[in-house]
Amino acid sequence: MVEKQEAVVGVINKVLLTFCLVSFFVVNAQVKNADSLLTYRKKVLETAEIDFLTSYYNQSGSHASVTGGVGNEDLQDFSPTIVIRYPLNQDDVLTADIGISAYTSASSSNGNPFNKSGASGGGASEGSPWVASTGASGEDVLTSISFSYAHAAKDRNKYWSVNLGTSFEYDYESIGGGASYTKLWNEKNTELTINGQVFLDKWKPIIPTEFHEYSLYGSNFQTNVKSYFYGVNVIDKDGISSENYMPSKFKDFTSVNRNSYSGSLSFSQILSERLQFSIFLDYVIQEGLLSNPLQRVYFRDIENYYIGNKNAIANYSSPQNTSVFHLADDIERLPSQRIKTPFGLRVNYYINEVFVFRSYYRYYTDNWGVRSNTFQFELPIRFNMKWKLTPIYRYYDQTAVDYFAPYNQHTSSLSYYTSDYDLSDFSSNQLGVSLTYTDIFSSLKVFDFGLKTVSLRFQNYNRSDGLSAFIITGGLSFVLD
Amino acid sequence: MKITKKLFLLFTLFFLLQGCVAVKEYNKIYINDIDMQLASPGMERFETNFQIYRETAAGANGGKTGGGCGCN
Repeated sequence: MVEKQEAVVGVINKVLLTFCLVSFFVVNAQVKNADSLLTYRKKVLETAEIDFLTSYYNQSGSHASVTGGVGNEDLQDFSPTIVIRYPLNQDDVLTADIGISAYTSASSSNGNPFNKSGASGGGASEGSPWVASTGASGEDVLTSISFSYAHAAKDRNKYWSVNLGTSFEYDYESIGGGASYTKLWNEKNTELTINGQVFLDKWKPIIPTEFHEYSLYGSNFQTNVKSYFYGVNVIDKDGISSENYMPSKFKDFTSVNRNSYSGSLSFSQILSERLQFSIFLDYVIQEGLLSNPLQRVYFRDIENYYIGNKNAIANYSSPQNTSVFHLADDIERLPSQRIKTPFGLRVNYYINEVFVFRSYYRYYTDNWGVRSNTFQFELPIRFNMKWKLTPIYRYYDQTAVDYFAPYNQHTSSLSYYTSDYDLSDFSSNQLGVSLTYTDIFSSLKVFDFGLKTVSLRFQNYNRSDGLSAFIITGGLSFVLD
Repeated sequence: MKITKKLFLLFTLFFLLQGCVAVKEYNKIYINDIDMQLASPGMERFETNFQIYRETAAGANGGKTGGGCGCN
């Protein structure tokens, strides 16, 4: 009997032991499984990516703002840029964006239009708004560096990011930073992003040469032997020598800072399996020196004075004028605060495997009197898995700022004035195409990186005031193997 | 311009109402297509850059709103 009891207890113990062991393994396996479910998340960015981008921009026009709304606007810009995106882990991505923009500008070169001939020395000094000077202000390099850090919540329903950047060129420097927060809900069908950005910018003003000498030597700037204009023959509108030119309206700057604060709200919604849209709303406040210190203004109620060939005065506003320059009355003056409120809407529709329709509209208004509309349409056409061609059309219009008038049309009693045609009433049309090659297997290797995408983009831009431009952009995108 | 604003509000409201039905993740193959992204393509940045110099309006495109350059 005792033996039977011991046998039963032994069996029970074995059963219990087996149960415990099985339970342990089952529970352990479930815990591991649960852990793996918890720990496996698709990475926000699978692997490091590098984009090499570059653009060439070429512009021509006849309303140079540096010379008061008439003159050569030729400009070329070359902008190589590198963007590196690096996944720190499953949830975090660090991005570095480094670029330069090297440009030559005929308009800017005419900060001192007499460089070629030399205004000083009493010789036959000449200048013209239609001829690029050899002045240092005619070329510059803008360098920009920015970093951003983005974090995604584990459920991928919340994202936040911070960014910090700086840019600098000869007469302008900027430091800026911001943060954004994104929330998704409704099974990731709805998305809301709030963004804040601050730029603390600073001019290192370069002013037109006549004001530079006037600020140094005051009313004696034509007679002081140290002045650039000493001994130079200044003539009036009839070509008669005169010492009456006096840009007394010019005053030095009280502040060279320009600060920009912006708040942005964007809302996105998926409407169907093929249709989604996004709304953007920005509120931007800019304060400080909002004018460009290099841009001249001429008043119609003040006598005109020139340096150069008196016979060319009659054709001053014509490109045929290559030998006379109108000395300015002041530089551009604009209010020290501007509030911008643009509203944008983007709607994308997936037509089929070949076509996607992308559209964008923006209505813009500000407290300087500008009202503007922007429309853009794109139609990506996918020929196969690798090749894609995208025709692009963009229309833009704006009304002028309240302070704009053409060359020699302002009156000296005004407080604010500009002859910058970028702030005038105009419309523009931009037509272009983008060609993209994508290799989803990244089979072409460069070191440890595989080539993912090659892009080439061309845009032609025409403005109703006669300015025309084109831009060619190329890009190579690599992913780390 | 007031009419334009009203049209846009109606347009927006229409889309918002349409958005009440959620598209499931497994039905987002078209929505997730790279050309359906609501952000501007990276290559567009250079065009946006020259536009903010040559035009007065800027912003409301998920990108640069103003500041950081001696532009408009």
